[in-house]
Amino acid sequence: MASSGNKSINAKLVLLGDVGAGKSSLVLRFVKGQFIEFQESTIGAAFSSQTVAVDDATVKFEIWDTAGQERYHSLAPMYYRGAAAAIIVYDITNQASLERAKKWVQELQSQGNSNMVMALAGNKADLVDSRKVATEEAQAYAQENGLFFMETSAKTATNVNDIFYEIAKRLPRLQPAQNPSGMVLLNRPPAEKAAGASCCS
Amino acid sequence: MIETDINDLSDDADYAAASRQQGPASFNRSDSGRRSSSGETEGAEVVYLKDNVTIHPTQYAADWISGRLKLIKQAGSLFMTWIPYKGQNSNARLTEKDKNLYTIRAVPFSDIKSIRRHNPPIGWQYIIVVLSSGLAFPPLYFYNGGVKEFLATVKQHAFLVRSADDANVFVVNDFQDPLQKTLSSLELPRAVSVANSPSSSVALSESPSSGNQEMTEGGAFNGSAASVRQNGTPRQKHNDPARDLHMQVLEKFSLVTRFARETTSQLFRESQMDGFLASERRRYDQPLVEHQSLVEHPESPDSNGSPKTPVPADPLEFDKMSLVWGKPRQPRLGLEEWSNFLDSEGRVMDANALKKRIFYGGVEHNLRRELWPFLLEYHPYDSTFAEREYLVAIKKLEYETLKKQWQSISHAQARRFTKFRERKGLIDKDVVRTDRSLSFYDGDDNPNVHLLRDILLTYSFYNFDLGYCQGMSDLLSPILFVMKDESESFWCFVSLMERLGPNFSRDQSGMHSQLFALSKLVEILDSPLHNYFQQNECINYFFCFRWILIQFKREFDFDRTMLLWEVLWTRYLSEHLHLYFCVAILKRYRNKIIGEQMDFDTLLKFINELSGQIDLNPTLRDAEALCICAGENGAACIPPGTPPSLPIEDASVYPQLEDDIL
Repeated sequence: MASSGNKSINAKLVLLGDVGAGKSSLVLRFVKGQFIEFQESTIGAAFSSQTVAVDDATVKFEIWDTAGQERYHSLAPMYYRGAAAAIIVYDITNQASLERAKKWVQELQSQGNSNMVMALAGNKADLVDSRKVATEEAQAYAQENGLFFMETSAKTATNVNDIFYEIAKRLPRLQPAQNPSGMVLLNRPPAEKAAGASCCS
Repeated sequence: MIETDINDLSDDADYAAASRQQGPASFNRSDSGRRSSSGETEGAEVVYLKDNVTIHPTQYAADWISGRLKLIKQAGSLFMTWIPYKGQNSNARLTEKDKNLYTIRAVPFSDIKSIRRHNPPIGWQYIIVVLSSGLAFPPLYFYNGGVKEFLATVKQHAFLVRSADDANVFVVNDFQDPLQKTLSSLELPRAVSVANSPSSSVALSESPSSGNQEMTEGGAFNGSAASVRQNGTPRQKHNDPARDLHMQVLEKFSLVTRFARETTSQLFRESQMDGFLASERRRYDQPLVEHQSLVEHPESPDSNGSPKTPVPADPLEFDKMSLVWGKPRQPRLGLEEWSNFLDSEGRVMDANALKKRIFYGGVEHNLRRELWPFLLEYHPYDSTFAEREYLVAIKKLEYETLKKQWQSISHAQARRFTKFRERKGLIDKDVVRTDRSLSFYDGDDNPNVHLLRDILLTYSFYNFDLGYCQGMSDLLSPILFVMKDESESFWCFVSLMERLGPNFSRDQSGMHSQLFALSKLVEILDSPLHNYFQQNECINYFFCFRWILIQFKREFDFDRTMLLWEVLWTRYLSEHLHLYFCVAILKRYRNKIIGEQMDFDTLLKFINELSGQIDLNPTLRDAEALCICAGENGAACIPPGTPPSLPIEDASVYPQLEDDIL
């Protein structure tokens, strides 16, 4: 969830999407301004943070980058639980990755935080010659499902900061910190966790 | 759980198919209880068998009782048995008699009301079997997975439906009773644990009922269940015994740490005699190994800023003794020394001495190609040069045959073979981003990258059930780098996956059991740190996921990774040295972790960023020391069959109690 105060907001954001869609590359571009051609696969999950300034606030994104393979699906709820925002990434050169993205959207709609801001990112937009997913198709899907949509390129940096910035603008302001963030283990009652909720720094 | 939901569809489809096939007529009322007690044993068929199904009478691993779960079909009725292994734990406080109390002897499914399955995010899957009488058996933990198969088997042979209220509750119904068939009453009775259930047991006369009193006093689980009942508080639907367990852990801390401390003291005295006297700590926030000579510290882990919070002392350092040190690391095993290990025909004369030597020093790189196949148990230690040459040739042919299986898939066939295309696509995506900064794998169209792909694809056919999983390319890459040869790399990888395959199982059971064992080890080796993790929602140890999944491959450079792997592969002190290695790293940074009050997010980031920062040799020495320190108590934290141990398939390892009641 996002919590606010003094116009400073901490927001947990999770990246989900097919193997090799470019989740880690988007994060690396956004957080460090770098791009690695052969970004190694993510094992388990990676966490990083980056702050953006929007009109009325500073948003510090706490970013969870996850492993894409279906086999690790069962770990995903641990990471998207309590997230204020999600970027669901597909690869515009791979139709199957859009289908996988749709599954993630469905899962978040049924399992995730109902106030979650969801963005659909069609990554690898620089590879226009290999495009398999029409912009219109993804745009229409996003519209139907209340996501906002951008085609991005971690390689050229196109729309990378923009998508995070857009999310920052859409985060609910002054939302009370009612849901726990982070991990819940061993089926403990959530009440025990309240103290762990993030707050402005 | 998401995974559960996915499984559910197939579960129900299986069930529907099974019930259509069998029809009501085959579900006989199980009055065979009387028959079997009269000694009839004909026609009993074991339809399901699972080893390492365990109950946890207390939170102490030493008290956990592993056994074999069976479903037995006889005369159309299904029975469940669970028989503990005999003489499993030498240091167990439970006697054989106590164990017998827990034995489940041929309970007919007509006496079973429901089965609840639990998929905790950490720890093992377990089931709770509730009897029609309202009594329940203690949770049965499936160390090697298999809950789904268990339920599927029950579905095949008895009437089982999923509760409409709770997808994890499966209601067993007596099919002959049409009223029950309507499934009108799906409510679970309040679950009350019993050690044994004489009233419902077929083999009533064999139940040592006289021991029940003792058991209730001695068994923590029974105690807590009983008190809940007395208070009239219903047990929560989602109650997890692991939670009760953790609530008790705090109270028991002193006992556990005292054990560790006593062990440490003992070792300390021994080490004094051995001349390994460690110097006294001036401050406990110093790096554990400050006198390390082989590898210099690039940085002192705890030197970055002063801790913001008072840090509880490391119990192993509490008594002003440093952690008992592992022996000094030795130089790597070289060619001349290696040749002394071999007899004239090439047999390794003393495999244990060799393992010990490699454990303490590793192997020179040019020898790895010859030695890794031994360490991975692809080549037998007692094989001769000629035998190995022959094996290599045979295995090469076998590899070629396996490889042709996917090579012969035409384009047209591939179009109709989604699973193949998906696998190949996944592997293609991963091999091009595996160790590409290494000259061995860099550049466009690198043939070694193609070899990685071919071997992984062949493996995914060789072990089609496991398939390909992210992380495998990391495990293969150093092997190919060392072995060079395609077929030899493949077979070494196969051997490695015999041990690490469970890391990649769909239900994550292999990872869960290792993370769970790790948490128990930290609990006995650094209880304040464990306590800290517990209070800060880090108790699942998922921040160590990458370490364990791919054996620290991402934490060290290539050469150190290879050294660490060959040390781990010797399994000289423990099959699970990697878990002690995890503890060793955590202990090196404990003051920073606690001092900076890291939460799970920060901790995961911190741990991920330790990549390239960990001193290998000093940490290995710490791991060795911790392993010795923990001793049997440490070993008891790690259930049998936890990867990289091989699953226990050979039941003769544990002599059985009289197993076949029917």
